[in-house]
Amino acid sequence: MGMIKRYGMIVILEHWLVAISGIGLIFTGLGCLPLFKRYYISEIYGLKWTEDFHIVTQLHYIFAVFFMYTVLFHVFFHLIRREFGLLPKKGDLGRAVKMIFASFGIGKEPKADKWLPEQRWAYVLFGIVIFFVSSTGMLKVLKNLEWVLFHPETESFLNLLHTISGGIFILFFVVHVLFVLVVKANWPLLKAIFTGKVKEEYAKRRHPIWYEREKS
Amino acid sequence: MKINRRTFFKIITAFSFLASVPKYVNSFQSKYATLVYIPNCDGCENEPLPRCVKACRDLNRYRFPEPKKPIQPYWPRPNYEDWSNERDRIDTLTPYNWLFVQKIQIENNTINIPRRCMHCDYPPCVKGCPFGALSKEPEGNTVIDDKICFGGAKCRDICPWHIPQRQAGVGFYLKLLPKFAGGGVMYKCDLCNDRIKKGVEPACVIACRDRLKDKSVYKFGRREDIYAEAKRRTENEGVYIYGMDQNGGTGTIYLSTVPFEKIEAKLKDIKARFQMPVKVRNRYSDITKPLGIALVTATLFGAVTGTLAAILTKKGAERGL
Repeated sequence: MGMIKRYGMIVILEHWLVAISGIGLIFTGLGCLPLFKRYYISEIYGLKWTEDFHIVTQLHYIFAVFFMYTVLFHVFFHLIRREFGLLPKKGDLGRAVKMIFASFGIGKEPKADKWLPEQRWAYVLFGIVIFFVSSTGMLKVLKNLEWVLFHPETESFLNLLHTISGGIFILFFVVHVLFVLVVKANWPLLKAIFTGKVKEEYAKRRHPIWYEREKS
Repeated sequence: MKINRRTFFKIITAFSFLASVPKYVNSFQSKYATLVYIPNCDGCENEPLPRCVKACRDLNRYRFPEPKKPIQPYWPRPNYEDWSNERDRIDTLTPYNWLFVQKIQIENNTINIPRRCMHCDYPPCVKGCPFGALSKEPEGNTVIDDKICFGGAKCRDICPWHIPQRQAGVGFYLKLLPKFAGGGVMYKCDLCNDRIKKGVEPACVIACRDRLKDKSVYKFGRREDIYAEAKRRTENEGVYIYGMDQNGGTGTIYLSTVPFEKIEAKLKDIKARFQMPVKVRNRYSDITKPLGIALVTATLFGAVTGTLAAILTKKGAERGL
């Protein structure tokens, strides 16, 4: 059995641009909180610059350039192409629970399409968090540019919402990485996000609905 | 990819939404400013404490922090900031003293400089606070909401004059993870926010005028009038000006017969806790702002290129979602 193409170059680029800029945003975002100085991070060799809030904020903006570009590209590209395979389908919640249990050896995995049911739910939840963190972030940028004007209370609310949604983004990111690294059944997908391909045997076993469609 | 009329209108609607962000809206135009004429200040010699300082303390006494003791250190650091045992100090800024008169000797002359928040036009403390505890009011003053403040002290680090002062053992952080995050509440002059909103001058301004009448150190008024007077006096009287350009402009304009370079040098020399640097760049306006424009452009560019890529690539050619 050979290999089967799972991701095209655009999807791979989208994923890694969001991932790398997202990691950068998490790091600099934590730096924008007064954390690095208190927790001795800025005392680690080569990280002295992290105690300068201006530098950290400027880097946060630079990472946001790549992140926001990719998020908007992703939304428009797949929306116009009507590619909605990653949106949850009826019955996904139950299937997602079964899938997660099966990942830990409890029960059998249900037959999956190209995307696993929990992946579809994770995508939507990630999407909601990204919507909040990036829209509040963009409004903060517009406010700092003085292109828009907010009432002081609204401004406070936006800042707080950005910090809270940023915290949830970090949580989701950690869960996402853990699920990929800890659950052995997901390792072929990790390889695929670099190469774009999965083994036919894997696709047939774990994603039979997608496999059959691809073969027909 | 074939674009039908419905898809076309969807794309147009999406772009219209993005374009609807107002292109330019004025930021809060500061309504008021304070003129501080340093030569008139004698630090209220022969009085137990300067009138302006006393007025500020008396007015804000009910807002001073009452920390819950024992106070936990800022883990993993061994320290914490507690000024509650030094409530009577008037020679510096503390959470219990939001205005002080800085005394320095320059060429055998004593110079008294009232020091408090400058109320910047583009306040880094407001832009930088991750909890949104700081706001710039329409009157031009910056205010800390002590109910939201987490006491991370970023505002103090980012302030060119390091004005806000922290008191541990009070505030919202105590309700979450006091050992690991937060450090108390930051305090500073809010230019008597409640009063100026009602059209009443700040307490320090009134207290000084009560004593010095028309020789008052402070003058509080409409920003354009204060700025115009400061410029006029600089030209006519040959006095030096501070606060108009520093940090991109502030709501506190100092006038002095001694050049501010000399004041800066002296404060540096004596390693004063509160400095008065002459060259103060507003790094938000100078560097972060262009990056903000790049970010907005990149966001729009992402939408445009995403649309173009979708139109140009045939469905199925790129195995997507």
